[in-house]
Order: sequence, then structure tokens, then C-alpha cells
Amino acid sequence: MPTRALIYFAYFLKTSTRYQNLKKFFYNLLESPDSRLKSYFDVFMIGLVILSVFLLINEVSGAIDYVDWYEQCIVSLFVVEYLLRFWIYSDNHKMIIEYYEKVQYLGVPFQVSKIFKSLITKKIEYIFSPLALIDLLAILPSYRELRVLRVFIIFRLFKLFRYLSSIKLFSEILSNKRFELYTLAIFLSFLIFIGSTALYLFENPANGGDVKTLFDAFYLSVVTMSTVGYGDISPHTTGGRLIAIALIFSGLGFISFFTSIIVSAFSDKMQNIRASQVYLELKRYDSFVIICGFGRVGQHIAKQLQKDQQAFVVIDPNETKINQAKQLKYLAIHEDASKNEILLNVGINSNASAILCTTGDDVTNVYITLTSRHLNKQIRILSRANKLESVKKLYQAGANNVIQPFEIAGMVIAEYVGQPVAFEAIVGILNEEKQFILETIPVLNNAFIAGKTIADINLAQRKLMLVGIISNNPLHHLHKNSYPVNNQCFYFNPEVNFELQPGDILVVLGRKLGIDFFRDQIEKSRLKRKVKS
Amino acid sequence: MMRIAVFGYSLMAFEAMRRLNPKQYQIVFVVKDNAQAMQAKEQGITAVSLDFRNDDELKAIGIGRNIDVLFCFFPKDSDNVFLTISARAIDKQLNIIAIVDDPDSAEKLLAAGANKIIDPYEICGTKTHQMLTKPEITQILDETVFGQHDLNIAQIEIPLGSWLENIQISQLTRESQHQLLVLGVVDKELGEELHFVIGEKEHYLNAGDVLVVMGPSNAITLFTEEISQTQQKTRVVN
Repeated sequence: MPTRALIYFAYFLKTSTRYQNLKKFFYNLLESPDSRLKSYFDVFMIGLVILSVFLLINEVSGAIDYVDWYEQCIVSLFVVEYLLRFWIYSDNHKMIIEYYEKVQYLGVPFQVSKIFKSLITKKIEYIFSPLALIDLLAILPSYRELRVLRVFIIFRLFKLFRYLSSIKLFSEILSNKRFELYTLAIFLSFLIFIGSTALYLFENPANGGDVKTLFDAFYLSVVTMSTVGYGDISPHTTGGRLIAIALIFSGLGFISFFTSIIVSAFSDKMQNIRASQVYLELKRYDSFVIICGFGRVGQHIAKQLQKDQQAFVVIDPNETKINQAKQLKYLAIHEDASKNEILLNVGINSNASAILCTTGDDVTNVYITLTSRHLNKQIRILSRANKLESVKKLYQAGANNVIQPFEIAGMVIAEYVGQPVAFEAIVGILNEEKQFILETIPVLNNAFIAGKTIADINLAQRKLMLVGIISNNPLHHLHKNSYPVNNQCFYFNPEVNFELQPGDILVVLGRKLGIDFFRDQIEKSRLKRKVKS
Repeated sequence: MMRIAVFGYSLMAFEAMRRLNPKQYQIVFVVKDNAQAMQAKEQGITAVSLDFRNDDELKAIGIGRNIDVLFCFFPKDSDNVFLTISARAIDKQLNIIAIVDDPDSAEKLLAAGANKIIDPYEICGTKTHQMLTKPEITQILDETVFGQHDLNIAQIEIPLGSWLENIQISQLTRESQHQLLVLGVVDKELGEELHFVIGEKEHYLNAGDVLVVMGPSNAITLFTEEISQTQQKTRVVN
């Protein structure tokens, strides 16, 4: 019976929206790296940590009243935070359900003790994690009965590790170079051991020196190697001085080696740091475009997207081009866009709405197209083909549209020759160079235009020109001047008795102001009808 | 018939030539050497090879005499600039259209005398942007106006004595609404700017004004023929 209750409770938690939302909220507040809420919380906690340390230091001099009261409030918050982190660290109900489904499949009995052991192990794993230990040590000093723990007050400052990403980054960089640092530490230990032993032997009081104990010898070695040289203990014998000289040179070598490790670690990581900042920035957008390749074509697209205030990111393996993009204040990543990892980090499966392969190399464009399509079946891919034979390959790789620069330019020139005015007109409209634009307006359900004829909606009065209607509605098949376009029909310049159906798309020419106003009227009419119904 | 000289062996040259109607245009394709001429021949296009730096050779193919339009499609901007300067010196009236590789060369080409500069990369970028932001419209135009379907945009100049003289543009749009769409008019009284016909302003048509229309080619041909008549005999209406 208790087993069934436990399983029932686990399923109840799984299906409870309130529970899931609550846990998600606290996850976003405390852990989610993409959450804005977390960044506010981190700033608040940093302030709180600094305030608590300041109060406790001043408590010693009794300079501030009500220190205890403040301290209790702060510690209570720390405790709540610790417990919340403890709670969100693992999903007990998920573990119970997983175990239950596993035993059901295998046909073995459900052992409550086994699942409890797993649950407790998981929570203990949290308790002994470095950051959780720091959290605990930050709370303990306030327990007055254990005055000795007050020395751990300094551990509160270590709590800053949790909230400051730069400190985290520094420790990450150090951990990435641990092999070099371990090697250096072994070398240093060896030098100190040799130096201490030799100094102890040479500088013994029996030989006329100051080094009385082995600790003194160790102290002198460290002070000498670090080139600090306090002078409270100094070598007096020739042997001791020779050892000191050797230690000073070794110390200089050690410091140089250590510095070079840290510098190289930072420079290695710098590209990733910059890229991760861009990834974080991109997560804030609801939708953005990925431009792969910042050559001439990519630059033109970026310029136009910036004009449209459409978010985008540029990826290019060429450092000069990336620097050029950064100078223009674009979000740019110095990487190879054909790598799965890069596209995933950028957000091909989350907020990215389209990917543009605009490099000058067809092989690269095919590879990026294929990678993108493999990672996301739905994303829109527009690719550039520099050679005619690559067009088919790009479509095979999964591109939605392929653009051929030289073919388009040839076409443009041919169209321009005979009809310069007409051509400039259409190009001007498309490029939005003129005040007039060609736009699509969908006929939505419940919109006032749905079910009406062209004559009824009187576009001329709205200072708009109807160029045509895109539709796949069979009701329109009797109308003339239809052109098949991408599984739909384009009805050019339809007759006044053409009755608009939901799903149709009007192609209109006019000023942006007029088009936006017409759109607003459609939207308002929909809302009114919804309210009425 | 308009005569066009196309200089430079490139994808763009082939695409432009493929799209130009041989009934309307006579094309002279010029390449740098015999090897390129042979390659062009393999693709079914007759080409002449000449040294574009020699003015006499340029004159020999008709520049300054019967060539109306010159396409400068050499891959190097310096070659196009040299050809433009040479051709402009020979013929002041020649319509020169040149492509540009480096955007900085655009000004040099204009200074050399080119009438229109085409930047293929810019066009490609613009096209990609249009496909991204206005996919339906781009697709319609690609498949109809620029594509295989019989829907075209044309500019028609109103001849002297046409029945269209002194009539209002709104009257014309009302009467031709089923087959042709009048997109705009260049009203010469107001300058060279194209005015879109969306009911903002009334225009009285005069000889020399240019109408920009959209529709099937037969309707455009019929309309062109009709406007040259002194009286409206048949309407381009159903």
C-alpha cells in the first residue's frame, strides 16, 4: 500500500502543473544560466554576502546596533536558498517513475529501500558538492553555540563563486590547465624539499647559521624562492648562500612558467569566452537569423537585416572578417559554421528562424546546409550557389531556396536593358528604396474581409493597389489569370467579384502607413468578432 | 532592332544573353581570346575575340556606329574601366552597363562614363534578404515576372496623337482592370519620377509620358498597339 501511494504521488507530481511551474520558477531563479531572473538574484545575493561580512566584522567593535537582527534575516535567506537548491538539485518523482517503469518492464518487485537509497545518494551528492559545502559553511558561523565556527565567516566570501561568472570562469580556466599546474606543483615541491633539506644542513646553528628547525629551513626556502626575502632568517654559510642563489633563479623560472601557463590558458579560452557571450546574447531574442560567411554577400544581407531591426549573428572562420563584423557592432562568432556544436550553441534548435549560407565556396555551403538540415528539419535554409552545377546539390542537402549571384545579376541586366523605368520601379519596391512597398496580407478567419468581394473592400479608397491573390482554395479555380506558384495559385489582378476566403493572401502595393492601417483594421475586426462570439 | 555588345566570358554574360529576346536584340559577344571563343561556341554562342584595348577593333564591331548598348562583364574592374573609357570616347550616346567586383571601383566606372553599375554581390545579398523577409512576393515575381510564366512588367511611352492624351490616369485604370494593371506613370510635366497609381494623385496623360504596366504579354502588345491609335477602338477589357 505505501509503495502504491508513493508511485501515485510521483505521478501526481509529474502531472501537477502548479508543482512543475513552481520548480521551474526556482530553477530559473537559482540555476538557469539563460534566465534574466537569475542575474537579478545573483546581484542581490552578492550584495547580501558583502553586507553580511561587513556586519559581522563590525559586530566585533560593536559599531552597529541590531547586528543580530540583520544577521538572522540574512542567514534565514541563506538557509532558504540552501534548501531550495537542495530541492531542485534532483527530481525525486522522476527517479521513482523511472525505477517503477523499469521494474514493471523487467517484471521484478518494486523495492522501496532501493529507490530511497538512490534518492538519498543523489541528495548527498548535492550536500558534498563544493558549492553546497561553501553554502553550508556560510550559514554555520551564525550558530552561536559553535563560536569556533566563526572563523569560517570568511567562507561567505567564497559564496561569491556561485554568483560571479568571472570567478567561475577563472576557476574553470585553472582546472583546464591542471596538468601543467600539477607538473609545476610537483617541480616546486621537489625544489622546496631539496632546498629546505640543504639549508637545514648548511645553516644549522652548529655550522654558524640561523636555521634551528626543519620548518625554519622550509620557511627560508619559500621566502627565498619567491624572491621576497624578509631577512629575519638569512643564510650565513657559503653552502647556504649558494643554495639561496640556486633557489632564487629557480624561483624566477617558476614564476615565469606559472605566469605563462595562466596567460596561455586565458588566451586559449578568450575565443570561447567571447563566443559564449554572443550565445547568451542570442538567447534573449525571440528569433534571429544565422549568417554563415561574412563576405560581400553576407555583408549586404547583414546591412539590410540591421535596417529591418531583425536580430542576426554572423559566423565566419576568418578572423579579419569577424573583426570587421564586430566593428560594425554585429554579433559575430569566429568559428566554423559547419560544426554541429557551433550551430547548436548558437541556437539552431531554439530561437534561430533561418540560416543563410553565403560563403563564396559551394563545398562549404553544401556542408553547412547539410549540417543545418540534419540538426533542424524545420529551419529555413537559404544558400548561395556560385556554380550552376551546385544548385541541385544544395537542394539535395536540404536548402529551401538557392540563390545564384551571377545568374541573378545577368537576369537583372537583361531586364534592365529594355525596361529601365519598369525595372527600377519593381526593384525599388522590393528593396524598399521608395516609399511604396509590396506586401502580403493574409485573410484570417473572422476578419471583416473574409467572405467579401474585391469590390466590397474597396482597396482604392484605402490608397492600396491589389496586385493579386495567392490561394489554394478550389473555390477560386474558375477565375482567370491564375499562375501556379509553389503548390498554390497566384490570381493576378483578380476581378471585382472575386470572393475572399480565409487562407487567401492578398498581394498589395501601397505606402507602409496604408498597409499597416489596413492590417490593424483586419486584426481589430477579428478581435471584435471573437468578443461577440 | 537594338544592338548589344557583350564583353567578357562569364556566367553573368551567358545568363544575360539567354534572357535577351533575339527578336528584339542583336547581340555581339566579345571575348579576350580564341580559346574563350571556342568554349562559347561549344555552348552554342558565337563569339568574336578581339583586343579591347585597341580602339580600331572596338570600332570594327560597331561601337560608335550601330551598337546601342555595351555590357562590360570582365572579371577585373580595371578591364571594365578601360573598356568604358574607350567606348565612351568613341560614342557619347552609348548606353554602358558595367559590373563591379570591388565596391570602391563603382565610382571609377561612373567617372569613366558608365550609365549603370551592377554589383552582383549586392544583388545576391538583396535577393537573399527579400527571400527571407518576403518569401511569397519574391517567389511570385521570380516565377511570373522574371520566370517562365507569361506575366511581365513593361513600360510604354504614350505616342503623339494617342487617344490617351488628356485623359485621367484613374479613367485608364478603371477601363483596363481585368487584363493589365497600371502600376505607375512617369508624368513628364512633373519630372522623371515614377508615380504609383494608388489613388493619391490624379495625373493627366500626355504624349511622352511613360506608363508602367503589368500583365500577360499579349495584353501588353494589344495595349501598346491600341494607344498608338488616335481613337479608342477596342478596350483591353473583357
